[in-house]
Amino acid sequence: MTTTLAAPARPAPGARRRVLALASAETRLLLRNRTAVVNSLLMPLLLVAAVRMIGLPTAGGPALVVTALGVTLVFLTYYNLVTTFVARREELVLQRMRTGELTGPEILLGTAVPTLLVTVVQVALVALGVAVLGEWTAPVDVVLPLLALVVGAALMVVLAAASTSFTRTAESAQITTLPLVLVATSVSGLFFPLSAFPAEVAGVLRFLPLSPVVELARLGLLGETLDGQTVDLAGAWSAGLVPLAVLAGWTLVGGLVAARVFRWAPRR
Amino acid sequence: MHPSHAPARPAVPPAPEPPAVEVVDLRRRYGAFEAVRGISFEVHPGEVLALLGVNGAGKTSALEVLEGLASPSGGSVRVLGRDPQHDRADVRRHLGVLLQHSGLPGDLTVAETVTTWARTLTDPRPVDEALAQVGLTGRADVRVRSLSGGERRRLDLTLALLGRPRVLVLDEPTTGLDPESRRTVWTLVRGLVDDGAAVVLTTHHLEEAEELADRIAVMRAGEIVLAGTREEIAETQPATIRFTLADDAPPLPAIPTVQVSAQRPAVELHTRALQPALTALLTWAAEHRVVLGGLQARSASLEQAFLAVAVADGDPAAA
Repeated sequence: MTTTLAAPARPAPGARRRVLALASAETRLLLRNRTAVVNSLLMPLLLVAAVRMIGLPTAGGPALVVTALGVTLVFLTYYNLVTTFVARREELVLQRMRTGELTGPEILLGTAVPTLLVTVVQVALVALGVAVLGEWTAPVDVVLPLLALVVGAALMVVLAAASTSFTRTAESAQITTLPLVLVATSVSGLFFPLSAFPAEVAGVLRFLPLSPVVELARLGLLGETLDGQTVDLAGAWSAGLVPLAVLAGWTLVGGLVAARVFRWAPRR
Repeated sequence: MHPSHAPARPAVPPAPEPPAVEVVDLRRRYGAFEAVRGISFEVHPGEVLALLGVNGAGKTSALEVLEGLASPSGGSVRVLGRDPQHDRADVRRHLGVLLQHSGLPGDLTVAETVTTWARTLTDPRPVDEALAQVGLTGRADVRVRSLSGGERRRLDLTLALLGRPRVLVLDEPTTGLDPESRRTVWTLVRGLVDDGAAVVLTTHHLEEAEELADRIAVMRAGEIVLAGTREEIAETQPATIRFTLADDAPPLPAIPTVQVSAQRPAVELHTRALQPALTALLTWAAEHRVVLGGLQARSASLEQAFLAVAVADGDPAAA
């Protein structure tokens, strides 16, 4: 019986080819949407301008990059992906793609690529803006903030996939994404550093999903720990182990939950 | 009649290879509702099976298991000897699926859509050739959202056929197509079958089943109530003889196997043995010099058989 199947299961090369095929089509779709392109370039520039004008406590150069990182991950990556996944599901695009050789994770990743690209571009634009304004200071470490960006983006993908299970239409994503958006903006250290909270409260809040992203970015870019102490490279890494573990844990759990609850077709 | 025991089509010699599709006692349940209630069938390479039934008969629910998109709640499905869901990577390479409803991003052109799909496949057909086959060459640079319904369906079909599938699952392939497009699709499918593909399709067009299928399985309320070649299915219903008879004609003889369902002047007879019945009738008419006005004799059609079982309410045992 098995001889009727010519080729064995294909490992990575096939997967990369398939994801790239889908990703380039999705990127083409994004580039055809001029409003979306302009918005995604304008937003980070406005953020740099606005935060400087308002003068939030996080307004210093590198601190602004930290804020931009968190804001982009939640408002762009997470929100965009929930609406995209839901829209594609309701249009029956996901179900059709599942009839081919693409696997489920490949479909989600390929669909997410344009959003992930815009995420990186936006954070880079903010960093560039800060540098142009002459407010850039040499970071303590760049690997931790990069990990915060990359793993943070992966976390947003799985959380977005999981969130589609309770989001019936692309429009209702405005409401269903609120819990994460609220938690992220108020108690994850994004606009108000967790060091502003009592130590016991901060000790709990650092285990929320977006908190380790902010914590890692602050460690690397500002050399500042959760309780406001200044550290060097070694100190940043030893303080970074807990948030790295928390971030990895959320991503893993998010992935498992997403795999369980994700629906490929509209509810009938 | 059990569908898996139905004879293969005569043109194909008994195949030593295993069936391309093997479905045994398949069940699908949604909560308390059982949409598919234990159906079994086989499809061999080079063969077309049509699942015929009214809407809600369970055809799509059954196909979703073959496509690997859903788990059965009972029974088993093998495609090329593998489980379409658990051995997904092995099966998908050789499986072409046309969903009843499916979506495509509207802002890609036809050519971009097909090229993208081709790049996700192991051994795709050339894009130009695939578009030419379905008559979409002239529409290659048109955005998908600007296509007509029929053009969309042909594009869907292009994608389903692009990977040179050995097993093809088509859920209502020609619904919404104009007659010419429908012919195009039939020709395409027949070409694939001639090259050895195994095809399972659903339809509620009897003409499509007659045109394409080697074997037909009629589904009703989640069960296969009738299966066989179209001739075998038609034979489950009696043939009909009609004629008019003058009032002064002698009484009709009693012919074995014949039932009289309408009396003179417009006589209607039913029989499962048309030729002997007709011979007896004509012999009697000649002997008695009786004129059988407007004489008609015809075997039962697939449509008659379908209507008799597919839409009959109540007792499934009647089939």
